[in-house]
Amino acid sequence: MNLNELLAYLHETGLATGIRESSAFPWIESVHVIAIATVVGTIAIVDLRLVGLAAHKRSVQKLLAELLPFTWWAFATAVSTGALLFISNAPSYAQNRPFQLKLAMIALAGINMALFNVFTRRTVHLWDELASPPALAKIAGLSSLTLWTAVICFGRWIGFSLEPFG
Amino acid sequence: MTMAEFSQWLYGVPVSRYLRNAGWIVPTVQSVHILAIAVLMGSGVVLDLKLAGFMAKTESSRAVFDRYMPWLWGALAMLFLTGLVMLTAEPDRVLSNWVFWTKMALVAVAFFSTLMLRIPMRRDGLAAASPNWSIAARPIALLSLAIWVLIIVCGRWIAYVI
Repeated sequence: MNLNELLAYLHETGLATGIRESSAFPWIESVHVIAIATVVGTIAIVDLRLVGLAAHKRSVQKLLAELLPFTWWAFATAVSTGALLFISNAPSYAQNRPFQLKLAMIALAGINMALFNVFTRRTVHLWDELASPPALAKIAGLSSLTLWTAVICFGRWIGFSLEPFG
Repeated sequence: MTMAEFSQWLYGVPVSRYLRNAGWIVPTVQSVHILAIAVLMGSGVVLDLKLAGFMAKTESSRAVFDRYMPWLWGALAMLFLTGLVMLTAEPDRVLSNWVFWTKMALVAVAFFSTLMLRIPMRRDGLAAASPNWSIAARPIALLSLAIWVLIIVCGRWIAYVI
């Protein structure tokens, strides 16, 4: 089975049809928006601290410890609802350029986060309470803010550019 | 003049036509609207969970208030402005839409509860005097957060109830 066959198969499943042809889609979409807003909103606090803007906690480590659990729970919710939305019309979304770019931006945000954790966070005990973190931390924060802004913009464009399937 | 007549009049106004016909404006303004929602949720989560006693336990209410309230108000201002642009561009989409008016009513409730809740948060004396303040404020703080969530749900449903 190739990719197109898989996407077409998904389109015909009971789950996909059920979501697509009922009010389930708008409800799932609403939860998706709430989840995304929480991901970006909480991550923005962390990113702005990394860029050098004060948060309510001076310590970067403590700020991360306090906020990131919310970010992760919201992200898990966003991915789950996103998967259901995707499945509801897999062939249309798979070929939608803003959707593809949205996923690419999320992947890049993940890479940015991984790089930050591997390289920069190791030395956080040296700059934890500095008002102005090192350059690499600032770059990570700014990249994250930019990428997540792009995720939201591409996400909104999906609705304006979706081609119907069939 | 009825709402339908006002909506029709607004639809024909040059500004409205321009916003509608320049295809990039409405999606861009919608994206800014969503980004402002993210700022609202970020600052709202910290403020309401602080009020409820779940977050920022080592920080004073005043410190959290001073740090995040400006962002909350800024987000609300941006939401209002972008909302106004969207309403001007597509008045028929919202003015006769009961989901839109439900959302506006909830926004009014959230706006006033924000004003009312934040005032006690600024007064550290109040928080310090009553250790049970967080527990008493907990349901109110969580209700505040729930209203913002309901507003987001209404916002998404506008498009489906035309």
